[in-house]
Amino acid sequence: MKRGSFSAIASVAYKEFLHIYRDRRVLILLLILPPVFTLVFGHAFEAGEMKNETFQWRVEPATVTGEWDLLGHAVQAALIIPQGWNDGLANGDPIPLRLYLDGSDTNTADMLEGSVQKTLGDFQLSERQVMVDALPEDVFELAKKLPVQVRKQFVSMMEPWKTEGKILYNPKTRFIDYVVPGVIGLILQLITVTLMACTLAREREAGTLYQLMVTSLRRREIVIGKILPYLAISVVLIVGIIFLTSWHFQVQFHDPGALAVICLLFLLCSLGMGLLISAISRTQTQAIQFSVFFLLPVFVLSGAFAPLEQLPKAIRYVSELFPLTHFCRAFRLVNLYRATPQYYAEDLVLLAVGVLITFLGAMILLKRVEQ
Amino acid sequence: MTEPAILLDHLSKSYGDIHAVEELSLAITPGTIFGFLGANGAGKTTTIRMLCGLVRPTSGSAKITGADVWRQRHIVRSKFGYVAQRFSLYRDLTVEENIRFFGGACRVPRGELPARTDRLLELTDLTTKRHAPAGSLSGGMRQLLALACALVHEPPLLFLDEPTSGLDPVHRQQMWNLLYDLSHRGITIFVTTHYMDEAERCTEVGFIEKGRLLAKAPPRALKASFHAKLLEIEVEPVMEALVRLREVPGILGVSLRSGSLRLYTADSEKLVAEWKNKWPFPELCWVGHRWAEPDMEDVFTAYSQGYAAVLKPAQS
Repeated sequence: MKRGSFSAIASVAYKEFLHIYRDRRVLILLLILPPVFTLVFGHAFEAGEMKNETFQWRVEPATVTGEWDLLGHAVQAALIIPQGWNDGLANGDPIPLRLYLDGSDTNTADMLEGSVQKTLGDFQLSERQVMVDALPEDVFELAKKLPVQVRKQFVSMMEPWKTEGKILYNPKTRFIDYVVPGVIGLILQLITVTLMACTLAREREAGTLYQLMVTSLRRREIVIGKILPYLAISVVLIVGIIFLTSWHFQVQFHDPGALAVICLLFLLCSLGMGLLISAISRTQTQAIQFSVFFLLPVFVLSGAFAPLEQLPKAIRYVSELFPLTHFCRAFRLVNLYRATPQYYAEDLVLLAVGVLITFLGAMILLKRVEQ
Repeated sequence: MTEPAILLDHLSKSYGDIHAVEELSLAITPGTIFGFLGANGAGKTTTIRMLCGLVRPTSGSAKITGADVWRQRHIVRSKFGYVAQRFSLYRDLTVEENIRFFGGACRVPRGELPARTDRLLELTDLTTKRHAPAGSLSGGMRQLLALACALVHEPPLLFLDEPTSGLDPVHRQQMWNLLYDLSHRGITIFVTTHYMDEAERCTEVGFIEKGRLLAKAPPRALKASFHAKLLEIEVEPVMEALVRLREVPGILGVSLRSGSLRLYTADSEKLVAEWKNKWPFPELCWVGHRWAEPDMEDVFTAYSQGYAAVLKPAQS
């Protein structure tokens, strides 16, 4: 590129920076919103660490009769001990216990059922122990006649098996450690896409785009000049969010080099997306509308806040189209799994492809507009 | 002969079946103030956009100082300044920032920018507004700023698309004085306008109608293209007379000028003779008549309405 081109790009970048600087509302949005979002989201998802310890039993008199009484008693599960249950146990034919679960929130029902099963199991085990302890001596004498091997097997089978768990990759099992890339990605995607989408649309709306096009500015100079200030601002925002999360939530960050590459590719991809939206919209209103339509599925389906594995397979293919998906995955692979580049190379390549597609697409669309 | 500043050769642009500009050929010599006249939708803006390299010509070619406006558009763009019809500068940037931005965008060397900015501010009388946001300027000052921005790379050619529409007479005067200054310095000026008194100020005028160039000549020559002087009559009540006379066969058009009615008709001498003999409208009161020199308004009306009968056959 010639020297004149650099100075032309610098002119556009400086002008774009002035626009941001002069628009106090956008400036406040840029300075206040990211830290506030980080704090709010961070604390919001801390609640996700809620353990089953809060699970409490409450004994109710025998008034619960119907299946629809959960709401009336303000409980999420009801274990009904039917009449004659004790007799059933005594007769060696236990009647099944009826368990009603609140399934409105899909996660809770499973969690509750697990807890109930565990509580029942524990109870059953302790009862069994009491029963075994109460057995007459001759039973033990009789048992001693069994071969040692069989007795040992019997003991193993009677004891519940223990697991010695060791949690890897996120040893403190803090949700905040998992969700940090989601928060960073969400905020950056929101800001870069909407602001970038508005820049060209604003010029078109104000008629300044024509004025720009009749200068000797090349299209690529306009585009690069417009992207630079937003790129710089986004980098500052990322660094700010990283500082805030590491200071306030004690989130640790590893391999800054790899994280920087991932962030940069993601940013370029988002800016390219904004540019693409900018190129297809006639007015700022349209640009904002397109941005919202693009961002909404991204937020829901990108796996920023919940593992993608919960989604059906067909939807997961859609998720793979979003840059945020690859950003979150690569970021977690580096920061939680401490993975080597071979594990996240695919995501980096896909992000790079995204950058190329969006930028080329925007250039082609702009060219069409020019003619 | 010097190379024309602008040379159009059978320039055409169609959008589907709509022919916005058809077979436009003209040459404009350097230093001319060329007034480009035509009704709304006549093809003025399309022509300017083609000249700026924003719209691709369907056929024909246009050259600015020898360079093709489409194929060499990036070269051509450094040779002209463009003042749009609509205010299209950055409102949130100050006057000075606007000029400096366009200077940077047009690759004015960084070292030269401050001096040029000062000179342009002085030229357009905006020095005191230097740090004011462009959006806070009045309409006239905005146009002056747009002119300053268009001149920042010192182009030999200036395109102005209705630069004075919506301006008060004082600013219009100021704008035109500036254009004279620029023309005096050898800059070629291509200006579209609706105002006929402005057409008089141009050194040459072109009429475009339905995408075709109808005439191109200095204003004086255009006014001389009428067969004869125009008939102006005084009749009372004037509005009713205007409506009635428009219906008379042989009268192509009637326009109201300072209380008198100016008639466009092939043989006005004969008409006056007839009317003097017998005034056919008993309800209208004949006051008198006189002969008027055609002005640019008449030229525009005659050309845009196609009153060929009042004009001499077009000279090639």
